[in-house]
Amino acid sequence: MNGINGTKWILGLAAAMLAVGCAKKGDSASKDEMILCPYLPSRIQTLDPGNARDMYSMEVAAHIYEALYVYHYLKRPYEIIPLLAEDLPDISPDGLTYTIRIKKDVHFQDDACFLDGKGRELKASDFVYALKRIANVKYASQNWAPFDGKIVGLDDFREYTKGFKKQWDVDYSRPVEGLQAIDDYTLQIKLTRPWPQIVEIVLTDTSTTPIPHEAVDFYREDIIRHPVGTGPFKLKTLQPSCFVELVRNKNWRGESYPSEGEPSDKENGFLDDAGKPIPFADRIIWRVIEEDQPAWLLLMRGNIDAMDELRGIPKDNFDKAVTVERTLTQSLIERGLKLQIYNDPSIYWVGFNLKDPVLGKNLPLRKAICRAIDRNRFIDLFTNGRAMPAHGFVPPGLDSYDPDIVQSGYSKYDLAEAKQLLKQAEQIQGGAIPKLNLAMPGTDTLYRQYGQFFQRQFEQVGLELGIDYMDWPTYMERANKGQCQMFMNGIVAGCPDAIDFLEMFTTKSFAPGANKFFYSNPAYDALYDKVRVMQSSPERVEIYRTLEHMAMDDYPAVFILHRVAYTLGHDWYKNFKPQLYSHGLCKYRRVDVKQREEYPALLKKLEREGK
Amino acid sequence: MSETTTQQNEPVSRGYWSDAFRRLRRRKLAMVCFIIVLIYAAMAAFVGIVETETFKKIFKLDVPIVRWNEQVGPSYQKPMAQYDFKPEQSETKVKGWSLFGTDFLGESTLRKTLYGVKTSMLVAFCASIISIGIGVPLGALAGYYRGWVDETIVWFYTTLGTIPYILLLMAFAVALRGREFFGVEIRGAPAVYLAIGLTSWVGLCRLIRGEIIKRKESEYVLAARAMGCSDFRILFSHLLPNVFHIILINFSLRFVSFIHAEVILSFLGLGENDKPSWGAMIDAARTELARDVWWEMAAATAAIFLISLALNIFSDALRDCLDPKLRID
Repeated sequence: MNGINGTKWILGLAAAMLAVGCAKKGDSASKDEMILCPYLPSRIQTLDPGNARDMYSMEVAAHIYEALYVYHYLKRPYEIIPLLAEDLPDISPDGLTYTIRIKKDVHFQDDACFLDGKGRELKASDFVYALKRIANVKYASQNWAPFDGKIVGLDDFREYTKGFKKQWDVDYSRPVEGLQAIDDYTLQIKLTRPWPQIVEIVLTDTSTTPIPHEAVDFYREDIIRHPVGTGPFKLKTLQPSCFVELVRNKNWRGESYPSEGEPSDKENGFLDDAGKPIPFADRIIWRVIEEDQPAWLLLMRGNIDAMDELRGIPKDNFDKAVTVERTLTQSLIERGLKLQIYNDPSIYWVGFNLKDPVLGKNLPLRKAICRAIDRNRFIDLFTNGRAMPAHGFVPPGLDSYDPDIVQSGYSKYDLAEAKQLLKQAEQIQGGAIPKLNLAMPGTDTLYRQYGQFFQRQFEQVGLELGIDYMDWPTYMERANKGQCQMFMNGIVAGCPDAIDFLEMFTTKSFAPGANKFFYSNPAYDALYDKVRVMQSSPERVEIYRTLEHMAMDDYPAVFILHRVAYTLGHDWYKNFKPQLYSHGLCKYRRVDVKQREEYPALLKKLEREGK
Repeated sequence: MSETTTQQNEPVSRGYWSDAFRRLRRRKLAMVCFIIVLIYAAMAAFVGIVETETFKKIFKLDVPIVRWNEQVGPSYQKPMAQYDFKPEQSETKVKGWSLFGTDFLGESTLRKTLYGVKTSMLVAFCASIISIGIGVPLGALAGYYRGWVDETIVWFYTTLGTIPYILLLMAFAVALRGREFFGVEIRGAPAVYLAIGLTSWVGLCRLIRGEIIKRKESEYVLAARAMGCSDFRILFSHLLPNVFHIILINFSLRFVSFIHAEVILSFLGLGENDKPSWGAMIDAARTELARDVWWEMAAATAAIFLISLALNIFSDALRDCLDPKLRID
């Protein structure tokens, strides 16, 4: 056990060094300042919203930039409310024209990019500019895919930009029929076909937030480090691999904390601040902590406020944090930590490349592999039970989730049946099944453990499996070119609608789109085309479920699990209600500064008591 | 009688090698270490042989100790702990225990550690052979011919030597992994020993070059030249046998560093991924320490410690015995 104590000392020392190294700004804060101390498990790539796609960049950017709409912080089921928009959009009867009025007297933060250094007023043309920028081929935005073919004239504008050498040379005043600022406060979007999810998918997304053209012209490539937004915070310090510091934007128009929520919100204290002006915090300091153990130790020392939505409790610390009954352990209760558990609408799978000559034409083989994977063991080993076995690919929490899909037996673990199916598969193959290969999108310990797990599962039915561990860019390149025979991946719902999950199996979405399975079924495509323009209704839910069954019948993947999120926060971290579809939630959160200051004394007391 | 006495008093004439081994045998600690190294080598050979399909077919034996991927118990069982366990595809529970405990998949840490012996020894041995195979001929050619041959080789190894070793090693490991050479895909242990072997010959090359420069004007070389021997014969029949002890000392000294290189590469995920290795075990155990799973880390580090210590002591003794300047009686 001495070895363990030694390790704790070393980890503790590393965490303390990290805390000292990264928190020097926070240490110099005045006593009255309220500072939020969340953390990021990965360095952020960019603070340019038009090209931010990784969740950590979006998380930070969403505090600086604001979208037209946002999900209500407390209400469930999720409800969309205006943020920069004055009200919900006016939609024409044919569902093709969206007219959106924009709030007046909204100003960008003060910045050197403006003539007098004072942030100017937001106009509808800023939204037009932001969307045209995403369409600019030379800008190479990662956020173009949802717009492809959907807005009248935007694809033509994209074609037009191909003629330029640099993104700066493009003339953004060139009109786009489907994207117009009617006046300074009215934006009009015309669609090529109905797109009922436009508000949920793109108008709430950080990518479509307005950015002043002055900032882009002024900072050019450096715009990724000089965000200029309308949000409640502005950037003070950016050290992408160490920490990001935001301070209050004094130009922000101001908002109040919500006064309505779920029935349980009152007893959970989420309505204690109802009607109070937000943001509560003066500063936010995200530390970038890539390793689990230092992050865990910093949480225990009170240097970070919570293990929030971005990363839950590390698997190797889980048993010390949560009991078998799914409550906090006594030791953590004494430290004043609070646990929240909720369904994370996600799906993780081992996908089959249906263009592959071995797997593509061999349904019994794909089915046999699905029967050979023990999803419950995977969940026990890698998530400490923090997941639900996936019986289909639409996750629980979405209205189109089919609770009866388990009866269809897609996720059945049955080795005898798997072996039986393999005999059929060998007849189709014309001999023994050759060694199969699974591509892993990472090389670290966890991915290697995943790899070992799948190798053992395949061995049980006599299949040989090789694992190709690769970094993310290599993985994506190979998956997009159809060079991975099998691949491990997963997605999390971006909005409370299953359309993203269904789109993964359409022929039009072949890689580099979302369909890396290269699954193609004309009947599925036809039904998808019908449903994607339908407004939310019970009929749409039924069609969603039918589509899910159609794809599942062809076994395009081994769907493994839907995550259940466990977040852990200190008692002083108030209004910490998980919100699945929005970023930029720190404006609602508050810290009881006095309680946080007392924490070191509490730790000393617990240490004296040997706890 | 007097003749016998005279014979006994005459100094015994010993050859260079027999004298060196006589001195080596006198060093008890070095011999103990040599035995440890031999045990490791025997273990590696044993695992390598009994895991082959040919062995299993001929002897109809399936030795449990090499079935490292067999689930022997529940996940994370402590060493020596008794447990109830229901094997996969079995309806009944059995009682079991594991000497070094089990890992996250319920596989035996002892079996993985023993298999790691094979991985490390194989990689270190093959890397040493590759390293010698490149370093010795290049060093010999540079030292013997001098001129542009020497300049080219010295330029090449100096350039290679300026790159930090660990970065060079990682770059080679990444570049070689998954590549096909003559229709054979390089992955796992071959990728590791190729990477180590191709990056670690510089020191030996430099050493051999210096020795050859020093010896090429020796009388026995001049005599061979006078007798009309070809350069090839002088180099490989006369000069290289005379520097063989340097190669041997170098081999033993570098063997341990190659074991460490393999551990580092596996730890970083660039080594053997499909089969157990000590580096991969340490990497997996690193995060598991937080849940008090210490035995995987302990087993792998103990195995590395023992072979490193034994090899270092033995190599030092070997150098002392083989190098005439360092001989102490």
